[in-house]
Parts: sequence; C-alpha cells; structure tokens
Amino acid sequence: MTEIGSSRAWRKFLRHRPAVIASVVIAVYVAVALSVLLTGWITLEDTSARVGPANLPGFGLLPDPEQRMDNAEWLAERIESLCDRADPEEALAGFRDLGSRRLADLNVDEFRRRIDAIWDTWDRLAELDDVNEAARSPETGPEVREGLAELDRRCEALLQPVSETGSVWRTLELLLGTDRQGRSIFLRAVYSIRVAVMIGLVTGLLAVAIGTLAGLAAGYFGGITDGIITWLYSTFASIPGIVLLIVLAFMFSGGELDASLNRVTGGLLRTVLGGRLDETLIPVYISFAITFWIGPCRVIRGETMKIRELEYVQAAVVMGFGRMRLLLRHVLPNVSHLMLINFSLLFIAAVKSEVILSYLGLGVQNGPSWGLMISQSGQEVMKGFFWQIGSATGFMFVLVLAFNILTDALQDVFDPKHV
Amino acid sequence: MSSASPSSELPTAAPTARPVLSVRNLTTQFRTDRGLLTAVDSVSFDVFEGEVLGIVGESGCGKSVTARSIMRLLPEHITRYGPDSRVEFSGCNLLELKERRMRRIRGDRIAMIFQEPMTALNPVYTIGAQLDEALRYHTSLSRRERRRRVLELLERVEIPSPERRRREYPHQLSGGMRQRIVIAMALACEPDVLIADEPTTALDVTIQAQILRLMDELRKTSQTAIVLITHDLGVVAQMCDRVVVMYAGQVVESAGVDDLFHDAAHPYTRALLESIPRSGARRTGRLATIPGMVPGLDEMPAACRFAERCSGREDRCTRIAPRLTDITDARSVRCHFPMHQAAGETH
Repeated sequence: MTEIGSSRAWRKFLRHRPAVIASVVIAVYVAVALSVLLTGWITLEDTSARVGPANLPGFGLLPDPEQRMDNAEWLAERIESLCDRADPEEALAGFRDLGSRRLADLNVDEFRRRIDAIWDTWDRLAELDDVNEAARSPETGPEVREGLAELDRRCEALLQPVSETGSVWRTLELLLGTDRQGRSIFLRAVYSIRVAVMIGLVTGLLAVAIGTLAGLAAGYFGGITDGIITWLYSTFASIPGIVLLIVLAFMFSGGELDASLNRVTGGLLRTVLGGRLDETLIPVYISFAITFWIGPCRVIRGETMKIRELEYVQAAVVMGFGRMRLLLRHVLPNVSHLMLINFSLLFIAAVKSEVILSYLGLGVQNGPSWGLMISQSGQEVMKGFFWQIGSATGFMFVLVLAFNILTDALQDVFDPKHV
Repeated sequence: MSSASPSSELPTAAPTARPVLSVRNLTTQFRTDRGLLTAVDSVSFDVFEGEVLGIVGESGCGKSVTARSIMRLLPEHITRYGPDSRVEFSGCNLLELKERRMRRIRGDRIAMIFQEPMTALNPVYTIGAQLDEALRYHTSLSRRERRRRVLELLERVEIPSPERRRREYPHQLSGGMRQRIVIAMALACEPDVLIADEPTTALDVTIQAQILRLMDELRKTSQTAIVLITHDLGVVAQMCDRVVVMYAGQVVESAGVDDLFHDAAHPYTRALLESIPRSGARRTGRLATIPGMVPGLDEMPAACRFAERCSGREDRCTRIAPRLTDITDARSVRCHFPMHQAAGETH
C-alpha cells in the first residue's frame, strides 16, 4: 500500500506531466477565486452592470453589419433620450451603459449635433434591403463597409477616448463579448470561478469530513454503529442524487426555512449571515454535503474494515493504545489517500451539480454562476450567439478536465494495483 | 497438567518459582449464527520467568485464540469466556479486568508479536516514530531518553546502523529486519511475558534461525517469559523448554521438550512427530500423514476428539471423553491409552 506521506508516491506524481499541468491550472483557478474573494477586483456590481450593446462578440470581433447598426441605433437613442430629460447635463453625466467608458465632455447641443450625424449615416445604410447581404456583395461591399466604419467612428465621437489604464479594464470587459443584457461575459465567467471553487472546496471538505468520520466509525466499531451508518447511506444512495439535491434545494428555497429559523432563534441567523439564508450559498453547501458524503463513507468504511484486521493495528492494540488513538493515529493516516482522491472527485461533482441546480434556478441565487450563465444563454443560442454558453462551459470544462486528470494521477500514484 | 515441581525436564523453571502467567480452565466461546461455538476448551498452563513455553497444534486448533484470549484481543461483543476461566497475571484475573487497566498491561507487561512482519508495522510512520510511540505511551521518559532507548532497542535486536534505520519507513526494510523491529517494539517496555504468535512462519529458513536465536538471547538477558505459538516442531525443538500440544481446542498433551520428542504419550503428538520429514531416514515412500480432518467447531464429538483419526482407537475412545491426567509430575496427557514408555505401551 502506498501512503500519502510517502515521498516515492509524490515523486511519481511529479513525473506525471499532465497531472502537474492540471495542478497548475487548478492552482490558477483557486488563485483567481481567492483574489476575487479577498481583493474584490471584480465586484458583484461589475458582473451585473451593462458594459456595452447586447450580444457583442468577444476578442474585439465585429458583429455582423445588421447588429452593428442595431448597436449604433441603441446608443444614439439612449443618448438622445438622455438629452431630452429635464436635466440633460446631469443625466448625461450619470451615463453608465458602456461599463467603464464615459460620455465625452460636451454640451447638450453638441451631443444632439453628433447624434444627428449618426442618424445621417444610419439612414443611408438603412435604405439597403439587407445590410448583411450588401456588405458581402462585391459591388456594394466597400461602400457599405465604409459606411459602417463611419457609423462606428461617429458613435465613438460621443465618448471620452479610452485612457491607458482604463483600456486594459475595457479590454477585459469586452474580452468575451456581452450577453443579451449587455453584461460582460468575461467578468461574469471569472466571477463564477469564485462561486465554483467555493462550492467545490466547501462541499468537498464537508462531504469528505462527514464521510470519513462515518466510514471510520462504521468500519472500525462494526456492530450497531456499522448497521446504522450502512442503513443511512444505503437509504441516501437509493435516491437518485440529482433528485435528492433538488428536494433539498427546494427545501431551502423561498425563504420559508429562513423565516422559521429566525423566528426560533430570534433573528440570530439573520444577524450572523447578514442576510437571508436562501440568498447565501449555505443551502447549496448543505444539500451537496448531504448528498455527497456517501461516496467517501463507503470507500473508507471498506478500507477501515480491511486495515482494522491488519497486524499493525492489532499490534497497536497489543501495545495497549486506546481506541481513539488507534483510529486517529493508526487507521486515519492509512485512509488519507482515499480522502484526497474522494475530495478531488467530489470537487468536480459539486461544480457540475451546481451548474445543473443553477440551471434549474435552485442553486446560486445571487450573482453569476456558470449554471446561471448557461441557463440564460438559451435564447442567445437560438439566435446563433454562442459566446456566453461557450465561455461558461469552457471555463467549467477546463476546471473539470484538470480535476479529472489530477484524480486519475492520484489514483495511479496511490493505488498499489496500478504500480 | 504441568506443575512447578522440580524436574530435570524443566531446566529454567526454578523449583520454588511462581508462574508469571497462569492460565486456568480457559474456555473461549464465540456467539455466531450457528450458535455458541467453543474454540478453546478448558486450557490450562503456566509460564515461568525466563522460560519458553511452546504451544503446538495444526491450524484451527485454538492456539491463536488462546493467545488472543490472554491479551483480550477478541471482539468483546461475540466472545464469551467460561465461568471458571482465569488468566492470572500479577495477582489479577485478566479476563475480568476493566479495559482501561487491561490497556496498561498490554504492551507494557505483556507484549505480543504476530506472524506477518510485512503488515505488522504501520506504513505511514518511521521505525523510530513507532518505537517512540510505545515508549511515550507507557513510560514517562523524556524525549532525549526515549531517543536513546530507541537506538538501544534497535541495537539490541541487531539492526545495523540504527541511527539511519530509525528514520526509515517499514517498506524500506526486509522481512527479517521488520520482524526484528516488531520484536524491538514488543521489548520496548521490558515486558514480563512475550507472546509470539508464529513469529517465524512467514520468514525464510535462514532469517527464521536468526530471529529464533535473537529471541533466545533476549530471553536469557532479560528473563522474559516467552509463549511461542507455532505449528513447526523444528522451532519447538530448538527453542522451547516445555510444550503444550493442542488439538481441536483442547490440550492433549503437555510435557518437557525432551520427553515430548523422545517419548510422546498422546497418539496425536506421535503422529505429528512422525510426519516431520527427516534427513537420513529411510526413504521408503510417502511421508506419514494423519488421516482425516480436524472436526469442525460445531460438530465436536462428545468423546475423544481425536478418536476419528487415531490409529490406536478402541471402543472406549468413541464413548467416553478422556480427561487430562498427570502421568508424571511434569507431564499430562488426554488419552485413555497413553503410549509413553513409562506406561509400558510402545507403538
């Protein structure tokens, strides 16, 4: 048996190149999650703020001509309506629809003049039956493309030039385009890392902790303890995981539980959480932990039963050591590799399940998550816009793939049968 | 039944010595689905200071259960000891001791080593850490003293370069080396009794000889009593002062080692001795075996348990259970027709 403390096993792990790369990828994800959590360089507001026109493609690609016209129309109308307000100066200063970009420092008349210029170009282009077709055809193509470029320039003239520091942030905002509501897909996807990593870590740790304790107790003490724990996990295991998750998530949703808990504790819960229970991630953690502890419990119970009969444990009994010492110092270290492998398995399971739950509207309630992004991208996909669903699944795919490779490598390293 | 009377067959048992460990009528039963099964049936023996007592018998005869009963290692909830069973050690009956007090005896006063050296050490700790844990648990030595003691123990069991080995993990050691460590662990607190459950079965012959020699030396230097459980009569001849032969949960014969090898009284012991391959003996065909099988725990005959397989069986053997009777001061046998020379019946 190869154990977790064995340097030979770790050397073997380091020779496994994909696993090392996977570890680096995971480290990057965790670092991003931590940096978001600690420094708040992306805030919840950043992820829900409008940063530009809807459904902008990523990497600075231009939308199709039709869409570019729509975007120009949206901007012109938006600013025109601001100019029509009772206090236009103030309304224009408060313009936040283009993320970090601000309107140029002009008076209202100048704005109206420049907007009229936009409409001039726009009307000219609008006379065409099909702008997309016209931009492609060899005869009208150059002229239409020139018109579109002029339209963009004239829109740009409404704004302050991008400053040096602001331009990096602006690039990030538009790196992966915008969703249906003009929100930054990149910021949302990155912010979701925080949610995913937190859910993965917390539920992984909780489930492994519960599973290990239960598994150790069942495997070591046997008898009634084993009976109860086995019955418990067989019962849980007989309910399909996703159904159990949904039931538990439903239990927490809607604030019923929150209200009754606060009634009993006299508002203590609200004070501690600083908000409603169903708006935090706690319901997700709890339902995941309840669903996922079964896996590690089963494996660790079996391993404990095996180890209990091994002679070094018997030898420890013969040395006169007490039960707790035996369990914690002699059995636990020998199942620690299983804890590690199970943690890594559960991390992936939690990330994936979060996506499913959020897709169904039962998971994350506040702020973005990959599941919410995928669920929101349904209509965009039908219109042929894949940036949001692609980004969310891409971010998730890389994390899950990295964890799968890592788990595989861990199993290879620690499982004696593969040596 | 063996006794403490002076006898030439008991060279190391001083005439007036009191036994360190005394097992009386030990009956161990297990509650199972097939009912209450008796694995050990009123076994009695004494172990004296500095003496090696062998317990011999084939697999399943109850020798390991006897050892585990003494250490109280059997799962409490399915194990039952007979009402008049006693394991006397330093003035108390171990079978009735509270678990907390039993723990202080285990490892400190009575130590035990097992058959399989490959799994007898915890793979996640270094040799030094494992030896140290035993010392820390049972003694109040300081860290420095414990370290010195660990090195001392390693030297005592003849581990080369102990300072380096101390920091190694079990998988870095060979089988023989591991068994030495196991012995060192057992000796860490200088126990009064060492129970060795087939300590050399898993080792190859040269290593086996080394380990036996080591145990013999340790016995001589520290006067530790050793209960050596084995099925290898060669080991018995080499190591033991006295021997208890077990069959189907009962003691069938107990004698000094010379008596046993030259003049066995019980037909089972004789059959065992005959089945040892001997160099230089006439090679006339097959090695002698004992026909038949050991009866299962749930189908023990009420009469002589060996009768079924005995070559000298008579009518009485299948009707009346023989009792363990003393034939001389230091010997006892459970047979209606003992075969030793003093009784005039040679085979």
